[in-house]
Amino acid sequence: MRWRRPGIFSGSGGGVMDFDLPEELEEYRKKVREFALKEFKAELAEKCDREEIYPDELRKKTFEEGLVDFSNPWKTMIAIEEMCRVDPGLGISATVPYFGAEVLMLHGSDYLREKYLSRVAQGKAMMGLGVTEPGGGSDVAGLKTNAHKEGNKYIVNGSKMFITNGTIADFFVMLVRTSPPDDPKKRHHGLSVLVVERNFKGFDTNHLTGKLGVRATNTGELILNNVEVPEENLVGEEGKGFYYIMEFFNISRVFVAAQSIGIAQGALDRASAYLIAEESRGNFVGEERKFKLAEIATRVEASRLLMYKAASYLFNYRPNPMITSMAKGYASETASFAAESAMEITGSHGLKTDLERLFRDSKIMEIWEGTSEVEKIVISRMMMKGDKNE
Amino acid sequence: MNEQTEMMMQTIKQFADESIADIALKIEREGIPDDLYQKIIQQGLIGATLPPEMGGAGLERSSYDAILFQLAKASPSVAFHVFMNNSIILRFLEKAGKKDEISDVISGKERYGFAPGPMMEGGEDDEGYLIIEPNSKNLIVDGNDGSIFISNAKPELLNKKPLGLRGLRTDIAKGTGSGQKILSMNDSELIWEEGSWHAAAVFLGLAEGALDKAIEYTKVRKTFNYSLKDYEPVAFRLSELKSEMEILKNTLFGDKEDTLTGMMLKTISSEFARRATKYALQFHGGYGYLEDFGVEKFYRDAVALNSIMFRPVRDKRSLASKIYQEKSGFL
Ligand SMILES: Cc1cc2nc3c(=O)[nH]c(=O)nc-3n(C[C@H](O)[C@H](O)[C@H](O)COP(=O)(O)OP(=O)(O)OC[C@H]3O[C@@H](n4cnc5c(N)ncnc54)[C@H](O)[C@@H]3O)c2cc1C
Repeated sequence: MRWRRPGIFSGSGGGVMDFDLPEELEEYRKKVREFALKEFKAELAEKCDREEIYPDELRKKTFEEGLVDFSNPWKTMIAIEEMCRVDPGLGISATVPYFGAEVLMLHGSDYLREKYLSRVAQGKAMMGLGVTEPGGGSDVAGLKTNAHKEGNKYIVNGSKMFITNGTIADFFVMLVRTSPPDDPKKRHHGLSVLVVERNFKGFDTNHLTGKLGVRATNTGELILNNVEVPEENLVGEEGKGFYYIMEFFNISRVFVAAQSIGIAQGALDRASAYLIAEESRGNFVGEERKFKLAEIATRVEASRLLMYKAASYLFNYRPNPMITSMAKGYASETASFAAESAMEITGSHGLKTDLERLFRDSKIMEIWEGTSEVEKIVISRMMMKGDKNE
Repeated sequence: MNEQTEMMMQTIKQFADESIADIALKIEREGIPDDLYQKIIQQGLIGATLPPEMGGAGLERSSYDAILFQLAKASPSVAFHVFMNNSIILRFLEKAGKKDEISDVISGKERYGFAPGPMMEGGEDDEGYLIIEPNSKNLIVDGNDGSIFISNAKPELLNKKPLGLRGLRTDIAKGTGSGQKILSMNDSELIWEEGSWHAAAVFLGLAEGALDKAIEYTKVRKTFNYSLKDYEPVAFRLSELKSEMEILKNTLFGDKEDTLTGMMLKTISSEFARRATKYALQFHGGYGYLEDFGVEKFYRDAVALNSIMFRPVRDKRSLASKIYQEKSGFL
């Protein structure tokens, strides 16, 4: 999105706001959509969903086509949206091998970036982000996994829960406690980020199956029993981990908004195609269902604009956590609203098609990377601190 | 709630505790096991509302709804199986005067699958037909114009089994095969309307199953050093939903028996069930998204069963026409 200043908000000079993406990005959107329509085959999506298999071949193909370009976050955001629009399970699987990469990009040493990130960027390795623990995900600072220093190593003990790519990633960017908080009210102090390889001794994983949706994605539990992590695997400074992860969420939540909008748009596509087909078969389609379609369409549009706004702040190095949380929170609720409403509009037809899968996939959006409640905590806290739009 | 209904609630709760609770997850993964089908027959749950002279238990409405309600709390799939047999298959057979077929169903000698088919919104299309319990020897088919058929032709199953209705081994078939027409649309429509009470019982049972789980979970789960129940949005939302639940249950197990009240209750319950189960899942956080915690099935089934048991246009139109006492909501 291009902001032409002076904009309408500045009140000076009657400038205009351009709601179109630059042509280059629109072209890119088309390219990703064509790829997804061609490669996200119905049989593959169904198989991965039913058998809970990660589509590794698809990951490679997506990589070879250069469709996930982390050097260009606008492109990444659009790729995520377009892929999830066709199939969320496959779309997320194809774009998630880099999950957590920004933490290393922003704070990792040259050594870490070279050793780990470059392999991910070449499509030779996969990574994951380990924050959530069995005891809690919303309360990040309450985590229990601990790391103490012995010589030039950290010894890590604890466990991580619901970790995407948990049993297939080569390494994880992991938040651990390296020292007790200096004040019980400041539990977010004393947390650090380490890079932990899956094949380090004492590291075990457990594949979590039986998810409601996004069953093509891999989810695991990580168990760390006296895992030795070389000190050079510390990301940034010791004790600053909480801030790095919050900064990361501020980025990744824009991408979750993109996943959500993809799902909502996918539900809208399917519901409108169904109603058009109904009319062309000569079946009556009344206003009730048409109005529902209009509501979905309106919410998709509003969510997308909010995401663009959050992205525009973020990608221009002016991150605005409040707008980001609004974008993620609203888009994720729109995803499940759209999927549920599309199921209602299409009746038993929806149950027979991939809309049913899309509906199951949609619910995770309101849970991962900050539940809807957590987003509201962020928004209200910032509102009451007086942090408004800017 | 009258004494008979109260007793039925207790009996079925015990049945669900003993025969369903431990295998609830297995039902979601593999479908209802054969020995549970047998137990359901032995308990007399199939044919519950038919008069004794037809081999049924002759239960009054609210006792039958107590059965559905308690079963849905444990397993919406099992509740739907009992609903489908009593409120759809046996009612159609009864209306069509198929006495032999009825006694075969009640005794468990024959099992019928059900194809909601074209009469349902969304039924008529190129995707094929949804069949619930497709491995049954016979099939009741909801035909093109709402008339009802019996078919014993083997449908060509596509082995697609939508995961949304896992417990019922639902599948999709191509072509309808041949069948014998047993009822006209007008008859079948009346049966759907009468069945509203019972559909509401399933929706409310599954909603209560989910809410009870959420209330228990939010007592023990802590975030930021406090139990979830201590947070206003959690406590207020769950207690509001529980309040709605009680009011709706008062109607379900109250004195009214008329079809219009049943239709009203179904309309409200179907929306309520989707809302309540969604919050219940949400308050379980990540655990809610995994089948092991037994809460996602309620949300999934609330939405899936809504597609089968609640026909958004037809049912709303029938309700509107009853409220206005003339044809309405058809433009
Ligand atoms: C499929 C899947 C993949 C995931 N991938 C990853 C991953 O790759 N890496 C990772 O680190 N994590 C991952 N997660 C974890 C996810 O981010 C957490 O599940 C999420 O943050 C919620 O944490 P929780 O599950 O512990 O729920 P809890 O924090 O226990 O919350 C439970 C409920 O209580 C509500 N709640 C909590 N506190 C409050 C409050 N103060 N006020 C009001 N309501 C409150 C929550 O909103 C939620 O509804 C994944 C989860 C799933 C299901």
